[in-house]
Amino acid sequence: MLHAKIVDIKEKKISLLEAEKFVSSFDYGASIYFTGTVRNQNNNKSVIGITYDSHDALVIKSFEEIYKEAEFKLKIQNKAIFIEHAKGYLNLGEISIIIAVACKHRDEAYVLSRYIIEEIKKRSPIWKKEHYLNNESNWLKGNPIVHEKD
Amino acid sequence: MKVIIELFGASRDFSNQNLLKLDVANDSTIKDVRNKILDYLDINFKGNENFIKIVNSSAFCSNDNIISDNYKITNNEKIAIIPPIGGG
Repeated sequence: MLHAKIVDIKEKKISLLEAEKFVSSFDYGASIYFTGTVRNQNNNKSVIGITYDSHDALVIKSFEEIYKEAEFKLKIQNKAIFIEHAKGYLNLGEISIIIAVACKHRDEAYVLSRYIIEEIKKRSPIWKKEHYLNNESNWLKGNPIVHEKD
Repeated sequence: MKVIIELFGASRDFSNQNLLKLDVANDSTIKDVRNKILDYLDINFKGNENFIKIVNSSAFCSNDNIISDNYKITNNEKIAIIPPIGGG
């Protein structure tokens, strides 16, 4: 069971309550909630906010692929996964991503949660532009998406 | 013929319109489009080195699929440039 969404911050904020509602079930004995939030320092610069950009369709596709992989790579069959990523300008402390997972047992829940965030970092077309106290801003260098050059 | 390139992430700084419309030769591939973007940056941003790095390390996407450098563009096709990523 998967819920995957890009949330435009101008329309609504992403919510842990919704994540909890989605993954709660008597079928699962372990649930983990991971949130990413905007912090105030990066590379010795004072950060005041981050603008997130996203290729929505490709991001959702990557979330779905990651979900399917959990089945055959991690061998985790019964699970609920809630992934929401924010898009737009976020202030310090605001949540940029929620990954909620629920599984039968804690071992697989921990593995699954970690797997999802690491794969998103590698594969989902999302970009960050940091805004600093001195009024400057900067797109962060990321990881190139693997593609065929020839 | 024309190609429309949707800009994402750091490539949004290439234009204030969030897209580029470039003229390319018939039967152009992504490799040719990449070179056309580099020409555009040379003319409009005096070959800004950061921008050149972005283009050279970007993937491209059509119809929500990542496409190879040999992919042939059709007239007025809309593609997206996908610079190096890093969400979370």
